Amino acid sequence: MNYAVLRVDEFALHALIRSDPALAARPVAIIAGEGRKAAVTEVSPEATGVTAGLAVTLAMARCPGIILRTRDPAAEVEAHRLLLAAAFTLSPRVEFTGAGCCTADLQGGDPVRTEAQMRRSLTELARAGLAARIGAGATPLLADYAARQADRLLIVTDAREFLRPLPLAFAAPLPGHAEIVRNWGLRTLGDLMALSKAEVGLRLGAEGVSLWERAAGESVRVLRLVEPVKTFVADWAYEPPVESIEPLFFRLRRFAERLALELRGAGFAAERLGLTLRLEDETEYRREFRLPEPGADVDSWLRVLHAHLETVRTAARVAGVRLVATPTRPAQRQDGLFDTGLRDPAAFWENLARLAALVGDDRVGTPWPADTHEPDVFTLERPLESVPAPANPPVHPPRGQALRRFRPPWPVRVQCVDERPVGLKGEFAGGAVRAARGPWRGGGGWWKPGEWAVEIWHVELAAGGIYQLAHAAGEWRIEGILD
Amino acid sequence: MSQAPIKLAALRSLLSARFPEKTRRPGGAVGTGVPAIDAALGGGLPAGRLTELVSGAPSSGGQTVFTRLLISTRAARQRVALVDAADGFAPEAVPADALRHLVWVRSRSLGAALAAADVLVRDGNYAVIVLDLRGIAERALRRAPAAGWYRLHRAAEGGAAAVLVQTPCELVPAAPWRLILRVPQTLADAGVPLELIAGRLEVQTTRGHEKVG
Repeated sequence: MNYAVLRVDEFALHALIRSDPALAARPVAIIAGEGRKAAVTEVSPEATGVTAGLAVTLAMARCPGIILRTRDPAAEVEAHRLLLAAAFTLSPRVEFTGAGCCTADLQGGDPVRTEAQMRRSLTELARAGLAARIGAGATPLLADYAARQADRLLIVTDAREFLRPLPLAFAAPLPGHAEIVRNWGLRTLGDLMALSKAEVGLRLGAEGVSLWERAAGESVRVLRLVEPVKTFVADWAYEPPVESIEPLFFRLRRFAERLALELRGAGFAAERLGLTLRLEDETEYRREFRLPEPGADVDSWLRVLHAHLETVRTAARVAGVRLVATPTRPAQRQDGLFDTGLRDPAAFWENLARLAALVGDDRVGTPWPADTHEPDVFTLERPLESVPAPANPPVHPPRGQALRRFRPPWPVRVQCVDERPVGLKGEFAGGAVRAARGPWRGGGGWWKPGEWAVEIWHVELAAGGIYQLAHAAGEWRIEGILD
Repeated sequence: MSQAPIKLAALRSLLSARFPEKTRRPGGAVGTGVPAIDAALGGGLPAGRLTELVSGAPSSGGQTVFTRLLISTRAARQRVALVDAADGFAPEAVPADALRHLVWVRSRSLGAALAAADVLVRDGNYAVIVLDLRGIAERALRRAPAAGWYRLHRAAEGGAAAVLVQTPCELVPAAPWRLILRVPQTLADAGVPLELIAGRLEVQTTRGHEKVG
């Protein structure tokens, strides 16, 4: 098999139903034209008695509950991009052949892997709400015939055997030629192939030769390739604007399905997701999520987005939504022989992403003190895959009670005698000082704009509690409690 | 002959069938490195259970307990999560190497902290999950719906992690274990090694349903 064709029949209807969950499993028809000329162009199987070409009034009479819609260009664009994304998982050489149809050039690929990938792509497309079929064969035309005949996936290995029973209409003869060959008693492609190509050419001219070649599936053409996407963006405008999470989440799921497929097709994983909600009052709500483990897993993305959206309250209704995936190369890792790794790595990274969505990307991680004596300076690092063996005990083990900080520090007025604190007066803590230790003076950064200098005291209040005071730039603050 | 023992046995059987997690033998304990607490709990924080540690007075040793827990679990290479509702943890107060197994969640609100704890107790990769609610106003804590606590109980019982909730007041409804630190520390201990300070801590057990095996 050199080519594969991905096909979705009644594409406009499928794209519409995929875009609107209220239409699923309902009698739906796409209509075109206005007034009395309005007619059904595509119809769902649930609309019994209605066929394409039927006038709208007749369709309504035959199926009273039928839902009539016009085509939705935005939904079709989104569905096309999904179909193209699925094609790019098969090959980097893909043609946008027509509405609901893509052709992928599979030459040079491993047939076993390609077949497995085709099955995976069909499953992913079905999960994303697009019932596609794939046909594969030696030529684009043969692959197209196979896609039209497939239940789900059909790979043609014996072309003549496959083509023989197919109706002549598959080769799309010109109307005049169709009449002639019918009069010759030909009904199938096999009947036409049984004749000599030269003899057919003598009687029907160049178009006859072309018809014979189409019947034999021999017609080879050059694919008009499309470029793989380089930016992974999905955008949707709501009309009317929405005010609940369900339609928003439904749209994000559709976006995620397509973007994940596009990323995988391009050999990428997402390291960040950017969410923008355009509000009715013409403001925007933006949020970026750093994914702890780069990936293209739809469910884990959605858990991150859902955990965050549940906490969001906007001032106005949502008029549009945009999701941007920042690509990166997937991480490659080999575990060490004696690693004590995570019991469930997938759950670990996924839950970290959910936590980041709850409290913020920059507020989850393993703290790592910075290389400075400046108080309360540290970074939050990505947690380690496995907990390493402990280092030797520190030369100077911690002494005294452990500090618990107040962020931000509490402002306080301090009464001093002989430059030592004897009393505190503040909103949250105050009273006479029973004992005080200090000062410890620190400073640094004098060579750069962020210069700092501070004087630290530990004071025990008569009412109980040991507090850490900081005196800097003429102001006193309670930095925390020694607990 | 009285039918009471038979009825009691039937009731026990019914309850164990209905609530299997309640009758399950706890799956071990995580040592805190604080002798008084480990002794009170019969070996350490019980896995699959929720323990409430109340800081009943300022500077009564709650942070010392957490620091000792970090050092103790680091030695055992066990992973710890801290959900810090008031964002009070000071990394510089702990030896750098004793932070490498810690996942610190710096919450901005009580609601986010409870939601984060709910995610973590279901994770399965942590030995201990600490939910630190000190620094949150008691009135706000009392307003937290009881259903959230029961949900946390149920999740903890289904997992392998020990859950420690540090509170400024007696708060967690139906906590299987509640320990209270009541004695304020003094500045006289400022130069004393943390390990010795932890060794002197006293705890009062106001609730304890079971012994850890």
